[in-house]
Amino acid sequence: MQLDFAARELTVKLVYYGPALSGKTTNLQALHEAADPSITGRLMTLETRDDRTLFFDLLPFTFRDKGGLSVRLKVFTVPGQVIHASTRRLVLQGADGIAFIADSQVAETENNATAFMDLKQNLKTYGITLKQMPLVIQFNKRDLPAIRSDEEIASLAAQGREPVYLAVATRGEGVVESFIGLLHLTWSALDAEHDLNKKFGFDAVAFLHSVARRLGHDRPLSELLGTCVGGALEVLRPEAE
Amino acid sequence: MTSGASVLDDLTMGRAVELESLVDRRALGEMLDSARELFGVSLRIFNQKGQILADASQRPLLYAYLDEFKAGQAALSEVVNAIKGLEPEPDGDLAFECVTGARYWVSGISYDGHLLGRLILGPFRDPARAEVHTGVRSLDSGVDPERLARAYGELPALEPGAARRVARHLVNAIDLILFSGHKALLTSNMHLASVHESYRELSEKNAKLQQAFDRLKELDRLKSNFLATVSHELRTPLTSIIGYSEMLREGIAGELSNEQQEFVQTIHEKGEQLLGLIKGLLDLSKLESGTMSLRKAEIDVVPIVEDVANTLAPAARKKLVEIGVEAEPGLPSVWGDAERLRQVFLNLSENALKFTPTGGSVRLIVRPTMLERKSDDEGRGLVLFSSKRPAVEVRVADTGIGVPDAEKERVFDAFYQVDGSATREHEGTGLGLSIVRRLVDAHDGAVRVEDNAPQGAVFVVTLPCRRTTIA
Repeated sequence: MQLDFAARELTVKLVYYGPALSGKTTNLQALHEAADPSITGRLMTLETRDDRTLFFDLLPFTFRDKGGLSVRLKVFTVPGQVIHASTRRLVLQGADGIAFIADSQVAETENNATAFMDLKQNLKTYGITLKQMPLVIQFNKRDLPAIRSDEEIASLAAQGREPVYLAVATRGEGVVESFIGLLHLTWSALDAEHDLNKKFGFDAVAFLHSVARRLGHDRPLSELLGTCVGGALEVLRPEAE
Repeated sequence: MTSGASVLDDLTMGRAVELESLVDRRALGEMLDSARELFGVSLRIFNQKGQILADASQRPLLYAYLDEFKAGQAALSEVVNAIKGLEPEPDGDLAFECVTGARYWVSGISYDGHLLGRLILGPFRDPARAEVHTGVRSLDSGVDPERLARAYGELPALEPGAARRVARHLVNAIDLILFSGHKALLTSNMHLASVHESYRELSEKNAKLQQAFDRLKELDRLKSNFLATVSHELRTPLTSIIGYSEMLREGIAGELSNEQQEFVQTIHEKGEQLLGLIKGLLDLSKLESGTMSLRKAEIDVVPIVEDVANTLAPAARKKLVEIGVEAEPGLPSVWGDAERLRQVFLNLSENALKFTPTGGSVRLIVRPTMLERKSDDEGRGLVLFSSKRPAVEVRVADTGIGVPDAEKERVFDAFYQVDGSATREHEGTGLGLSIVRRLVDAHDGAVRVEDNAPQGAVFVVTLPCRRTTIA
């Protein structure tokens, strides 16, 4: 997070992590497509070869709060391919929240696990544990055959700490839900650390709601946040919706 | 951790980048020139500090005329200051009308929500307003209304809507250029940062490997020292055991019964065997530590090989294995230590005999050959020498079990046995061949294993003929 007090401007970094070809870039494309043009800029895709991310993708959002605080979200993807380890580490630095995009196919289970260990290891080089990091997990590609079942994921998710979302990013399903879940967790963590809501008279619930609305979701926030399985989102349940 | 990541953060997370770091000023000027040609109106681009980055403007006749009057000059400089002070919102526009009635259009140039500069279009006149502002006429009594009207009429005419569209179009084009520029900047920075990061990671790993390597080297040195000390210390008491058992066997301490004779004989034999092993270890450690000195001279290989064959003849006869020497006449002499070379051929022949079953044969073939000069020779002036040098090849061919391809290099490692199992058929310390390799290396020669048709192995020792060390 970077805070410019003079300009009343806050920049938050969200990173989409995950194994190769799990749909990180597709998530960003779906977000970009869903977003009202007034809140987002161009989706920047840095150097791809054969449609594979070489460095990162970057999707910027800018929101202006009634209180005058301008919140800028920078959503990054990391390159999933194993060889880009150093780039992954560079992109990860300074992340405020992480969405881990997993591939639902049974055959990809091992790759999901490897990528997750890689994430853990890379965070460790920055002296951060996964426990401290706001994290959501998305099981993407729910439309494919030979995937891990809803029941299996739900039962495992119930034991975990992080909220888990099911998605079909190519159709935009579950993408905004995962994003709002991540933003919610991230904001709660940042607020807990920096007391942002109080300092800037910021209404986090209204903020989340307006982000969701401009991403094409006008459902009540609690309903949107409730689409996850397992995990703890209770930090900031919207009482005042 | 790395400066690379902070570069990425500076470029994506922090305050706005500067306009001039994303675009080429000259190219921007060219773009404005062509736009001026197309729309006939002056264009300028300023950065946030108020510095002009691109200028495609022509001083209008109206201003040139007003410049002739003191009050006109003052009025114009007021116009310039007023325009400089205009601050549109990011992505916003402002219209401005100057004292003459000439108009300007100011559009903010922004990137990622931050205002980076301004595009100023004008002066132009609104076609709906035919006349110059009346106030200008009274600036100075000398102003000629007709000239003033003519000059005003020569300003480019642009409807306010058109001005807005032209400005918007240019700002959009600039936005695309900024996006591409930012992308290129990020790409090159990421590339550099990634390379740096990979390099850092590799250096770290290299340092760890080097540490491990140094440690292993030290351990290896300690092992060699230990081996040398231990074998020396073992040899001393063993010499006594062998000596005394020999004296017993010869009846010096009194007549022995047959059974006693047999026991003493066993003690003596096993003692000799143990001594052989210890000598081997000692040789190996000396060779490894480089402390074995060779007494090299011009020597003829054939008598040595024949001597080895004679030495082994009784053992071969006992095993019903045929042993023989084939030597071509007129062989050149080699540069070597006769005693050590004898050990080489003896080791190889003993080995051959050991692995050759009853009814087989061991043949020692001596013939001339050429030795390829090693290309990794560190010596200078390699080109001055012939690439091949005359050599003598000694082939020890058996009809035994042979050496599998995968083992052909490893058989020369110390303590290595093709059959490493505890129940293996053939005894041995696994030192013989490794000593052979080291002795041959010390002679600047080469040793290798080949297959013997149809059965068995051939150990080939090649020894260079003359002393031609380059280094």
